[in-house]
Amino acid sequence: MSRAKRRTTEKGASKGQSPITAGESYWRGVWRRFRRHRLAMLGGSVLLIFVLGAILAPWLTPYNFSRQNRRNMFAPPSFSVPTDPRLVGTCERPAVLWFKCGMHPFGTDDLGRDILARVLQGGRVSLVVGFIAATVSTLLGTFIGAMAGFLGGFVDAVIGRCIEIMLSIPQLPLLLILVGLLANPEVRLAAILSEALGDAKSIVIIIGVIIVLSWMSTARLVRGQILSLREREFVEAAKGIGASRLRIVFRHLLPNVASIVIVQATLMLGEAILIESGLSFLGLGIQPPAVSWGNMLSRAQGFLYYPNGVYIALFPGLFIFLTVLCANFLGDGLRDALDPRHYSSL
Amino acid sequence: MIVYLIRRLLQVIPTLLVISLILFGLLALKPGDPIDEMRRGNPGFTQEDYDRLREFYGLDKPWYVQYWRWLGRVLHGDFGISRQFGRPAASYIFRYRFPNTVLLSGLSLLLAFVISVPAGAISAIRQHTVFDYSVTVVNFIGVSIPIFWFGIMLIYVFAVRFRGFLPAGGLASPGVVGTWPVFVDRLRHLILPVIALSSLQLAQWTRFMRSSMLEVIKLDYIVTARAKGLSEPVILYRHALRNSILPLITLIGLNVPLLFSGAILTETVFNWPGMGRAIFDAILVNDFNVAMVSLMFISLLVLTFNLLADLAYALADPRVRYE
Repeated sequence: MSRAKRRTTEKGASKGQSPITAGESYWRGVWRRFRRHRLAMLGGSVLLIFVLGAILAPWLTPYNFSRQNRRNMFAPPSFSVPTDPRLVGTCERPAVLWFKCGMHPFGTDDLGRDILARVLQGGRVSLVVGFIAATVSTLLGTFIGAMAGFLGGFVDAVIGRCIEIMLSIPQLPLLLILVGLLANPEVRLAAILSEALGDAKSIVIIIGVIIVLSWMSTARLVRGQILSLREREFVEAAKGIGASRLRIVFRHLLPNVASIVIVQATLMLGEAILIESGLSFLGLGIQPPAVSWGNMLSRAQGFLYYPNGVYIALFPGLFIFLTVLCANFLGDGLRDALDPRHYSSL
Repeated sequence: MIVYLIRRLLQVIPTLLVISLILFGLLALKPGDPIDEMRRGNPGFTQEDYDRLREFYGLDKPWYVQYWRWLGRVLHGDFGISRQFGRPAASYIFRYRFPNTVLLSGLSLLLAFVISVPAGAISAIRQHTVFDYSVTVVNFIGVSIPIFWFGIMLIYVFAVRFRGFLPAGGLASPGVVGTWPVFVDRLRHLILPVIALSSLQLAQWTRFMRSSMLEVIKLDYIVTARAKGLSEPVILYRHALRNSILPLITLIGLNVPLLFSGAILTETVFNWPGMGRAIFDAILVNDFNVAMVSLMFISLLVLTFNLLADLAYALADPRVRYE
């Protein structure tokens, strides 16, 4: 903390004014504190790059992610283009900037597919799952937690019991059971889903199951906050001037929990990506031919003993790791930035 | 205290019943029963055989009737027969799978505890030093790394790259005899899975310990101890450390059961025959009784450890009173 303090005073002194000016808005203060948090800035920037990479995935490589070249399997990562045209194979386009056809910066897998192209494409699925699951689960948790905290009494007791029961059932096996059920074509709901969604089915199932099993921690957090907030004077004052209950919840209570909810959503992003990758690794998540970072890893362990086989496992896992790490850095920085009373060490 | 204990114990029973109902319902929803499988592999299987067997096993009744019967049997200590192995599900789990899980998870817990307490404490005492920053970064890595990928990379480095330095998985090597060699062999098989499994808890506990210690060393009684002229090590390690471990007890209590079910990924990567893997296989092949007995056991563990954590906290901290 002392270091951070010193830095602001220096900055303030050089401009010849006090570091915190009287009229600074809350969000400007947040942005100022956030920028000072170097790891969070780094995490945010890297995440942004990954998101851009995922969005632009089909146009960033000369290959399609499912293009096979059985003549060039287990190629090591390299920036050189092989001279033998059979090793190069056919490409969709001759080159993307410096990335020429035949070049495999991350190597190729057991079917001669370009690992970089697959990592980029896998990022689309993994990031979409992560962002949607984290957003919806946090919103759902906030809503349920706010209901429990504000209404209290019977509603609170029922919700509290539900949360306790949900948390007592072992999570991973429950995920496995639910995913297994929804993937089974003989189950009626699964058949309906399959009819409606087609190939996107496994992605939607994963998102849904993660949401159902991960709203509880947010709900608990928000409930606790609401319970202490609703006794505060400004709520009494709002009641006093005749504000409706809905207005009190949405205009007075929820804005005050916004900061912890935002932090929670960032941490949930990492959590959701980890759950998706774990399930896909076990073969129950995203199903081929769709590709995600998790399902790229599901057969990778078998290739460890092949020459250059380790790259099949290395790169997708590295991207999961980096994404979750950046999300956690971002969450930590946001926590410090959004709540000025709370300073962590970094 | 006693009244509190009894009330908490009584709360466990309805919770367990609801959990068993949810799990039973979900598992029963899965189509296909053992009689279907028998019919599939046997051309001489008639419709009468089918109906008779279904009635014999009670599979023709709706699932809530089956649940009621299952509950009755379970209360008499009968968890049924495993479909995969043809032996009682409970004895299969507790004799062959549970000991391996206790070994793996127990050592992981121990490792996480032994490292996280001093690392967190020292990191707090030397806040803003290089040591503190390194610990914080390592913590971030620990909570962000996918366990199964970490395991695969460990296998690559220690079993593939340096071939035979450590075994790539399994419980024991074939052909090892004698007490001492078997013991060493088992330890060698445990090293990598224990490192992989403990990484998450290690990071979380260190982080928790650090913030708890940071709070405690700001308190008045530490200032008093300094004013009395006690030496710094005595203040930090006798006075501060003890109080900052207290909140960690609760977290550990909540985490212990996670290690039993959450080890599915680690056990899969390292081919370790523990409970997590048994649950996974049972769910995949629809081995109903094995899945139910292990899942109910873990749910019971969760509830028990929640209670134990609260009790341990009350015992360790005399200010906490439960009524």
